Amino acid sequence: MANKLETISPDHAHRHVLSILVENQYGVLSRIAGMFATRGFNIDSLTVSATEDSTMSRMTIAVHGDSSVISQLQRQLDKFAEVIVIEKFTERQAHISRELMLVKVRHKPTSRTDLLQIASIFKAKSVDMTPSTITFEIVGKENKLSNFLTVLQEESTIIETARSGVVALTRGKSGLRESFLGEVVNQ
Amino acid sequence: MSTATDTSHLIITPAGDQSVGHPLAGHMMSGADMVIQTLVDSGVDTIFGYSGGAILPAFDAIYRYNQTHQETPLRLVVPANEQGAGFMAAGYARATGRPGVFMVTSGPGATNAVTPIRDCMADSVPCVLICGQVPRAAMGTDAFQEAPVYNIMSSCAKHTFLVLDPQELEATIRTAFRIATTGRPGPVVIDIPKDVQNWTGTFRGEGILHLRGYEKRWGRLRASRVSEDKQRSFFDILNRSQRPLLYVGGGVVHSEASDALRRFSHTFGIPGVTTLMGIGAFDTKDPHCMHMLGMHGTAYANYSVEDCDYLIAVGARFDDRVAGKVSAFAPNAREVAHIDLDAAEIGKVKAVTWSHVGDAGRCLEDLTKYGLKTGFAKNFDHWQAHCADLRATHKLDWDRESDRIQPHHVITELNRITRGEAIVTTGVGQHQMWSAQYFDFTEPRTWLTSGSMGTMGFGVPAGMGAAIAHPDKTVVVVDGDGSIRMNLGELETLVTYGANNVKVLLLNNYGDGMVRQWQRLMFGQRFSGSDKTQHSCKFVNAAKAYGFTFSEQLAHKECLVDTLQRFIDHDSPAFLEVLIDPDALVMPMVGPGKGYSEMVVGDWIQPRNSTVSNELDGKTKADLF
Ligand SMILES: Cc1ncc(C[n+]2csc(CCOP(=O)(O)OP(=O)(O)O)c2C)c(N)n1
Ligand SMILES: [Mg+2]
Repeated sequence: MANKLETISPDHAHRHVLSILVENQYGVLSRIAGMFATRGFNIDSLTVSATEDSTMSRMTIAVHGDSSVISQLQRQLDKFAEVIVIEKFTERQAHISRELMLVKVRHKPTSRTDLLQIASIFKAKSVDMTPSTITFEIVGKENKLSNFLTVLQEESTIIETARSGVVALTRGKSGLRESFLGEVVNQ
Repeated sequence: MSTATDTSHLIITPAGDQSVGHPLAGHMMSGADMVIQTLVDSGVDTIFGYSGGAILPAFDAIYRYNQTHQETPLRLVVPANEQGAGFMAAGYARATGRPGVFMVTSGPGATNAVTPIRDCMADSVPCVLICGQVPRAAMGTDAFQEAPVYNIMSSCAKHTFLVLDPQELEATIRTAFRIATTGRPGPVVIDIPKDVQNWTGTFRGEGILHLRGYEKRWGRLRASRVSEDKQRSFFDILNRSQRPLLYVGGGVVHSEASDALRRFSHTFGIPGVTTLMGIGAFDTKDPHCMHMLGMHGTAYANYSVEDCDYLIAVGARFDDRVAGKVSAFAPNAREVAHIDLDAAEIGKVKAVTWSHVGDAGRCLEDLTKYGLKTGFAKNFDHWQAHCADLRATHKLDWDRESDRIQPHHVITELNRITRGEAIVTTGVGQHQMWSAQYFDFTEPRTWLTSGSMGTMGFGVPAGMGAAIAHPDKTVVVVDGDGSIRMNLGELETLVTYGANNVKVLLLNNYGDGMVRQWQRLMFGQRFSGSDKTQHSCKFVNAAKAYGFTFSEQLAHKECLVDTLQRFIDHDSPAFLEVLIDPDALVMPMVGPGKGYSEMVVGDWIQPRNSTVSNELDGKTKADLF
C-alpha cells in the first residue's frame, strides 16, 4: 500500500516505533487500526495490552515512513479522543525494544545438536521437540530475530513462525503514564 | 477491549459542593429517561428523529418528558427518512454553531444515517446521533435489524460510542457533546442497546468519561497564542510582500472568527478570497472580499490567487477543489502562511513558510493587536486597486439576451429581494455553484451547503433544520431537479412542522446539469444517465400534494421578478419551480487537476490573456498586471 504522503516529501523511509497510551474504551483498537488502513500508512506491527493502570491500554506501533509521514501519522493519532499520550522512539533516544518469536523447524536427525548450539548462541530456548522438529522461543530486537531465522534456515526448514510485534519502553526512571499524569497535576 | 464489567472507574465525577448537584441526582430512572434528561441538560431543544423497535424506549421517554414539561417541551421533528433527520440536525448546527441532535433506530435506521454523519464529518459540523441497537444479548447474532453500527460509524464519525455498561450511559452522552463541539467540530454517534435503555438505575446528573489526552490537547490548543517572535516574523513577511491575500475557509466560520477576520483585513488593507465553506466569513459586499476561489470560483478571485505574493490561509485546507494542481497553486506566492486548529492540516498538501496551530479568531486578533502596536502601516493601495480592477473587469456574467431563463439571472433577482440576509441551503450541482456565485452573504452561518461530501438531497432537510433554528429569518432552499428528488419527501416535513419561513426554489434543467456539464466538456457530449426530460415528476403537483399553498411553475422571463417577490412574501412554505435554460453552464471552470492559468471563463466573462509573470519583483506597479 503506497502512502500518498510519501510523494510529498521523499526523504528516506525509516522504521519508527510509537508507543501510545489510550483510554480503555470499547473498540479503540479497531478505530485506530481502521485509520491506518484508510489513510494508507504501512504498519509493520501493532500490539495492544493492558497496563498497570486498568483505565489505560498501551499500543505499540512499528511503522515505516519518512519523517513527514510519521509526523502526519502522529497528528492523525492525536485527533482520537481515546489517545492519551504518544511517545515516539527514535534511534537517538535511549529505549528498550523487544519482540518475541516462536519458530518451528524441521531438521535431519544429524543436525539437532547444531541447531541447539545455534540456539544457545542466540539465547533462544527450545520449548517443544519431536524426533524431527524443534520449536524455539527467542526474545530480542528485531534484527536479532531475523538473524536467528537466517542461520536456522541453513540447518533446517522453517515450518512456521509467530511474532508478537515490537514492544518498547524508554530507559531511565521516568514512565510515559507518570509523566503524563504528573503534568496534569502540575498544570 | 474494555468489557462490560466494572467500567465505572472511567467516569470522572467532578469533586465539588454536593448541594449544587443536579436536582434529579439520586433519583431512580430508566436508561432512556437518563438519555433524554442528559440531552436537555446539554442544551438540546429539538430532536430530529425517526422511531423503530430498538429506539422505542427513548421515544417513549420523550413523550413522557413532554407530558411533565408542557411549558418547555423537547421539540420532536419526524422526517420522511433518517437521512433527512441527519441533514435537519446538520442544518440546525450549521446555522447556529450548536450541535444538532438526531435519533434513529437500529439496522436500517442507523444505516440511513451514515450519509449525514459522513457529511458532517467532512464539513466539520457538530452533531450527536443517538442510535438504538438490538439488546446486548442479541448483539453479534445477526438479530433482526442488527447492523455493525460501531464499525460502520467509527470510520465515518469523529467519535463513536457503544454503551455496554448502563452505568456509563449518562456520562457517555455528556462526553459526546464535549467531543462534538471541541477542537475541530464533528459528528459523534452513540449506539445504545435497547436493554440499556430499559435498564433502571440511579441518575447522577454529572460526570463525564475520561478523555485525559484529548482534554489536555484541547486545553493546550485553546490556550495557544502566537508568540512575539512569530508575530514579528508574520509582519516581516507582510512587510516584504506587495500583494498579500487572505485565503479563508470554513474554519473561520466554525470558530466564530469572522469579526476578527474582517477587522484584520480592514486594519491592514488585505483583500481575501473564500472557499465554498468560507462563504459568509467575509461580507461578500465588502470591497476587500474577492469572493470564492477554486474550480468554480469567480475569475477575479482566481486571478487574485495567481497574482498574490503572500497567501495567508486561515481555516482552509488546500483541498482538490481549490488546489487541483498543488504545484501550480498560487504560483507567485513566495510565502504561504497557514493558520488552522487542526495540526494535521498544516503541511498536509502545501508546504508553508509560517504557521500557527490554534484558534483562528484569537490568532487574527493577536496579529491585529501586534500590527497596531508596532504601527505596521505598509500601504497596499496598488494591490487593492488591482483587485478592484479584477473585480470590475472579470465580473461574473451570463447571456443576458437569451429568451430562455438563465439561472444566474434568477438568483441575481432573488438576491435583490433578500439582500444577502437570507439563509441559503442547496442541493449539489450547477444550482449550488450558481448560488455560491450570485448570492450575497453578509453574515457567517447563512450559507449552508454540503461542501466536502457534495451530497445531493441536502437542501430541503437542511433548510428545515435552519428554519427551526432561525424562525425569524427567510430560508431559501435552492435545489436542482436531481437533488430534490433524493429527499423529496422532506417537502412534507416543511409543511407538517409549519416551516413558514422556508422558500424552495427549484432550478429545473431536466437533468443532472453538473454531470452534463462534465460530459459536455470531457465525454464528447455523451449524456449517459443524466438526461431527465423523460422523467415524469410534475414537481408543482408534488409540492401541492405535500400541502404547499404556494406552488408555481415559472417558464417566462418576463414574469420572473414579480413571481419571485410573491414567492418570498408568501406566509407559509412556498415552492417555485423555474424552468431554466438546460444548456446554461457554470463558469468559470478550472478543470480537475488543472492550475488556475488553465481556467476556462466561457462566453460571458472577460478572460485575461496573461497572468503576472514570475519575473515581477515587488516594486513593479500592481496596476501594470
Ligand atoms: C448523492 C449523490 N449522488 C450523486 C452525486 C453526483 N452528482 C453531482 S452533481 C449531480 C447532478 C445534480 O443534478 P441536479 O440536482 O439537478 O443539479 P444541477 O446540476 O442540474 O443544477 C450529480 C449526479 C452527488 N453529488 N451526490
Ligand atoms: Mg438539474
